[in-house]
Amino acid sequence: MSDVETPVAPVEPARRRVAPFVVLAVVVVLAAFFVVLATSSSGPKDKVGIVDSPLLGRVAPTVRSTTLDGVPFDLARRKGSWVVINFFNSTCGPCRAEHPELVKFSEQQQGFGDSGAELYTMLQINNDIDAVNKFFSDNGGDWPIVRDDDGTTNVAFGVALVPETFIVNPDGVVVLRWAGEIDSDTLSRLVQQQRDIYEAT
Amino acid sequence: MSSAANLKRWPGWVLLFLVVACFLAYGTAKDAGPLTPEERVEEITKHIACPVCDGETVYESANPASAAIRAEVKAQVAAGLRSDDEIVAYVVQQFGEQTQLLPKASGFDALVWMLPAAALVCAGVGLSFAFRRWKRNADAIPDDDDRAMVEKALAAEVNLDGS
Repeated sequence: MSDVETPVAPVEPARRRVAPFVVLAVVVVLAAFFVVLATSSSGPKDKVGIVDSPLLGRVAPTVRSTTLDGVPFDLARRKGSWVVINFFNSTCGPCRAEHPELVKFSEQQQGFGDSGAELYTMLQINNDIDAVNKFFSDNGGDWPIVRDDDGTTNVAFGVALVPETFIVNPDGVVVLRWAGEIDSDTLSRLVQQQRDIYEAT
Repeated sequence: MSSAANLKRWPGWVLLFLVVACFLAYGTAKDAGPLTPEERVEEITKHIACPVCDGETVYESANPASAAIRAEVKAQVAAGLRSDDEIVAYVVQQFGEQTQLLPKASGFDALVWMLPAAALVCAGVGLSFAFRRWKRNADAIPDDDDRAMVEKALAAEVNLDGS
């Protein structure tokens, strides 16, 4: 009985050395994804103030539409004037809150006569026109309100969340984009800054 | 010869390869037909994330921004001047990278495509090594020493039973 040899299992140490490296690789990849997700921006919705736009420094996109009064509107025909376009939706809380400031801004600019900036409201697609008319008649604002029934203008300006405000110089070039609510003093100051830059160049 | 043994031989692998190739060819050819404009709009808007809402595509979102993008995609498809990829690229350019649902195949985003492929290759290589090792162990032919050891063990067992 003692003569019987016990078979010895073959030892394979190499196989056992691979597992920790596989686990390490998986952990590194998961950690990298976690860092990327944790540090990535959630998009334009968390930005308020001056923001970047691919349109800055370029001629503004073509905007051909009509105002709520039925008057044709063509942005290219506004060349020679400073133009402020405010993207608006009557169901948007910040837009409604911002409105009195735009009324004040419009009055300030009208005080400059012909050299004052022209203010336009650009609607979002599917905005109820009756609700917009009622809002303006209740809260004031005598500047033109431009329709965007097919959404082309909102997409061309990259406007996802209203309110947003763009300043276009007399050459028809987009010079500033502001995301979120803005007050009249800030808007007047920004227009004046752009005016100074324009006149200096 | 058993069917399992048959599979181990090359005709089994060739058959498997042919079946996979047939399925791949069918799957590739199935969607190759021309799409209607409505199908194109649906396909494109499903590849664009709503710029203001979390976890929704432009196709399913009721947000005005998504409605505007849908209308724009529809207009561009009707105009027929841009390909699907170009239309998606235009929207992404206007609204930012966060609207790109399918990761790009370049830069850091390319890892999303490369890692699964690399994992698949590594798994295949690992399995082939494992199969080879198992096959080597299974095919071990007993030599004279092995036979002697077995005979010795059997003899010892007979002695034990006899005593």
